[in-house]
Amino acid sequence: MKPAAFEYFRASNAVQAVGLLQQYREAKILAGGQSLVPLMNFRLSRPSALVDISGITELARIVPTAHGLRLGALVRHQDLVDNPMVRETIPVLAEAAAHIGHWAVRNRGTVGGSLAHADPAAELPAVMVALGADIVVMDAEGERKIPARAFFVGFYTTTLGSDALIVAIEMPRPREPVGFYEVVRRHGDFALAGALVEAGESTGAVTWFGVTPAPVRMAWTALAEDEGLRRQQWERLTRDLDFAGDEAFRRPLAVTVAERAYQRARGGH
Amino acid sequence: MAEQAMRPQMMGARVARVEDPRLLTGQARFLDDIQVPGMLELAFVRSPYAAARILDIDTGKARKLPGVHDVLTFSDCPYRLWQRTEYQVGQPALADGGVFYVGEPVVAVVADNRYLAEDAAEAVRITYEPLTPVLEMRAAILEEPRRVHAGAENVFFHRSHRTPGFEQAFADAPLHLTATFRLNRQTAVSIEPRGTAALPDPASGRITVYASTQSPHRMRSDFSEIMEIPEHLLRIVVPEVGGGFGMKANTYPEDLVVVAAAIKLRRPVKWVSDRMESLLADVHARDDIHDVEVAFEPSGRIVAVRDHLMADGGAYPAYPFSGAVGETSLAARVLTGPYHIPHLATEIDCTYSNKMPLGAYRGVWGPVASFIQEGIVDRVARRLAKDPAEVRRVNMIRPEQFPYRNAAGAVYDPGSYGESLERALDLIGYEERRRLQRLARESGRYLGIGISAFVEPTAMASSEAGSIGYEACSLRIEPTGKVTAAMGLGPTGQGHETTMAQVIADQIGVDLQDIVVLHGDTDSAPFGGGTGGSRSGPIGGGAALVAGRQMGERLKTYAAHMLEASFDDIELGNGKAWVTGVPSRSVSIREIAEIAYTDVKRIPPGLPIGLELVARYLPTRSVSFSNGTHIAVVEVDPPTGLVSVIDYAVVNDCGQLINPTIVEGQIHGGVAQGVGAAILEALRYDDDGQLTTTSLMDYLLPQATDVPRMQIAHLVTPADGEGGMKGMGEGSLIASPAAIANAISDALEPFGVLVDTLPVTPRDIIRWTAQSGF
Repeated sequence: MKPAAFEYFRASNAVQAVGLLQQYREAKILAGGQSLVPLMNFRLSRPSALVDISGITELARIVPTAHGLRLGALVRHQDLVDNPMVRETIPVLAEAAAHIGHWAVRNRGTVGGSLAHADPAAELPAVMVALGADIVVMDAEGERKIPARAFFVGFYTTTLGSDALIVAIEMPRPREPVGFYEVVRRHGDFALAGALVEAGESTGAVTWFGVTPAPVRMAWTALAEDEGLRRQQWERLTRDLDFAGDEAFRRPLAVTVAERAYQRARGGH
Repeated sequence: MAEQAMRPQMMGARVARVEDPRLLTGQARFLDDIQVPGMLELAFVRSPYAAARILDIDTGKARKLPGVHDVLTFSDCPYRLWQRTEYQVGQPALADGGVFYVGEPVVAVVADNRYLAEDAAEAVRITYEPLTPVLEMRAAILEEPRRVHAGAENVFFHRSHRTPGFEQAFADAPLHLTATFRLNRQTAVSIEPRGTAALPDPASGRITVYASTQSPHRMRSDFSEIMEIPEHLLRIVVPEVGGGFGMKANTYPEDLVVVAAAIKLRRPVKWVSDRMESLLADVHARDDIHDVEVAFEPSGRIVAVRDHLMADGGAYPAYPFSGAVGETSLAARVLTGPYHIPHLATEIDCTYSNKMPLGAYRGVWGPVASFIQEGIVDRVARRLAKDPAEVRRVNMIRPEQFPYRNAAGAVYDPGSYGESLERALDLIGYEERRRLQRLARESGRYLGIGISAFVEPTAMASSEAGSIGYEACSLRIEPTGKVTAAMGLGPTGQGHETTMAQVIADQIGVDLQDIVVLHGDTDSAPFGGGTGGSRSGPIGGGAALVAGRQMGERLKTYAAHMLEASFDDIELGNGKAWVTGVPSRSVSIREIAEIAYTDVKRIPPGLPIGLELVARYLPTRSVSFSNGTHIAVVEVDPPTGLVSVIDYAVVNDCGQLINPTIVEGQIHGGVAQGVGAAILEALRYDDDGQLTTTSLMDYLLPQATDVPRMQIAHLVTPADGEGGMKGMGEGSLIASPAAIANAISDALEPFGVLVDTLPVTPRDIIRWTAQSGF
């Protein structure tokens, strides 16, 4: 469990980091290291070089915007849990972040790292898809925004190019109450299934994670008041999900997490 | 009264562990802390195939890499475990022409450090011809799809037993049920992984082997016998060990390779297992299937049990103890647990497969037997619509039946069987729990209460730690009156330095802080059996007690002589000896020691110079049974398949307690491992024989938040051996998986669920309950 040899660079700003990515094919960004370093220790990931961005302090800021918040890519998970602006503006983000790993992991793991890694069972990609965040990336051409809903394409796969760096995430303040629920065998594990439900007066949407190769968001226009009927509606929505051959286990879980997230959005427990 | 106050009883006291300060402040030295100049590190190339022929091994490129000192194959290390005749197959230290499980060591690379060694390991080119792996026990018994080892039948251990009149009794019983139980593979997962460091000393010609092991003397014998190294030239030193649980009772192929490499290179060589290696290649445990038939009466009385016990032993018998044989042959001896079940028929088949060998893991046969026997009792209760507690009362061995010979011939010494059950029911508030359970069900919540009454065979003449039935203690009072004891135990966190000192302190009347207990160094400790099979307390403690008593007698002889009093009137305590009733007529142990070593002309007639002795203790009983009852309360959430253990009660009877705090710590840990066994931990091989659980993200251990608070009560039925102690290292893991499994069955009774497989996963629970309208 020792990584293969690699070169190491410590970038002092985002432009320099992007330059290094261009220069070294097969280079990887090192931020919190909570996913990448274990993969390297298993030699499942063998980057030729690591570009360490953890010293770029301007990427670690949380800034209010007209519509919500701008999170620097280096914001740590535990900052999302603790930051008063996050708790006030996007409470479900703080709630979801508290389910990531354990304190030690949250103290190091970063928002940008979680999104770039794109584990299908991770919380933050689903939050970004549910809330319609924009992911701000930088490459040789400069900065551009990729909508989160066009970012995650499958297992550990995103539309971020190998020479691009996530610099920030722009998150709108949610217009409706959002409920979060996930099923884990132990606290801090990746979810067996999870959901975020935006519950408006008559319309809303559910975003599932952990049950499909990437987070999936589905909107509805009318949801039943009766729990039994509502479960049937969740059931119908799940028919469009790709359970990757594990339907008997994942479909009932998907229904359960959607219903429980909905109840939380409506103020239940 | 004043004299009593001068002499605190250490036996039974809640003494703080002397080990804890160094462990809690990070000052303890584990194997990986052993670092000497010139030390090289070793890494293994392991088999990526479950079964394959090796056509070629090309080490040329690896040898040329910087920092590489040697690349070893079987010809450099031509040793086999099990060279003796017990089994037809012995594992080579490195693969010899073929591989038989994923993770089997094939080539060893020695380099300046582990990074370079792993780089070079990658550069070794091995050409394999894959074979169809043998992975399924029932098929393997039928020699399907093929033999694992061409020269040996797949069934490497077969045994059957039947009580006289079994068939008649079974047929005559009015009621019958059948069940198949399955326990999935687990492994111990010690926090500190295995490791070995070999340091040849060119000056003396000796070799010192640091090893993270439970059995230092056994390991010395193994190196000596297998590698033909003269025993007096070998020294085994066991540094601090961070957990063993039976898994570190073996001598492994890696141990032989490290020693062979060090001898060949004449350099110190170290190997420390990483976590992936430990999940792949620490002995596994608990791969069992039991086909069970039960005959019983309407009263709930169980008349006869028939069991076909099968265990998948993996590719080789682990050395020197095959877990498959242990889990089956010994489970068959305690399969009736604490119940009077007069008839038993058992048939055992242990098979080879293309998986990691099965070895010992805490409890070995106990958790298996308990899961079966407690599962049987709950099935009888369910069938008869009786309270599970009531069916246990009906079948429990009664006090007047001791010593009780069970249907397999094992003799139980007295215990508190019925009493422990009643006490545990009280502790958990059983009737109130049942009422709350009914209320919860009305609101759609599924609470379950699971009972597990257990027997724990301890202090056995033979165990996974070896077949040494005795333990030894050398005891020396130094010239200043301080005390040095040395023992052949191999503690892995149990606190022997504390408990053995407690036992000795009472016997020779010195303060605890004036005693040091050495262990795990074959140069200083007398030959002993090591730690395993819950033997260290009763047998090791017995040896410490006998040594202490003999030393105490010698001190009293001195004191009687010096104080001109009768031997019988001398008392020891607080570092002194005095005449009963006249505390002012006293002499200090330090003064006695000065005479014994320096003023030797004053030694009483007939006593030797010095204060030093070795005592060995062999219990007269071949096994002593601890007992108790665990009750788990769980809540099951059918829609998510999650189980929470919300309350837990333990009543434990291990005879005389040496240190209740340590006993309770053992129980806490065993119940935590029971939570793992019941709902989390499983090693899974896929259809190609690849282990898919090679990290702690896949092999789920219980976290602190998964472990319930426990109420613990002690009953004391002393053993008839020295000190009255019984062993207790395993009972908590023997009882707890069954308690939690039964609680899950109880919670899901409305769905007709009876748990038959461990661990119970969310997938199982959703499968059982999802079709029922949730």
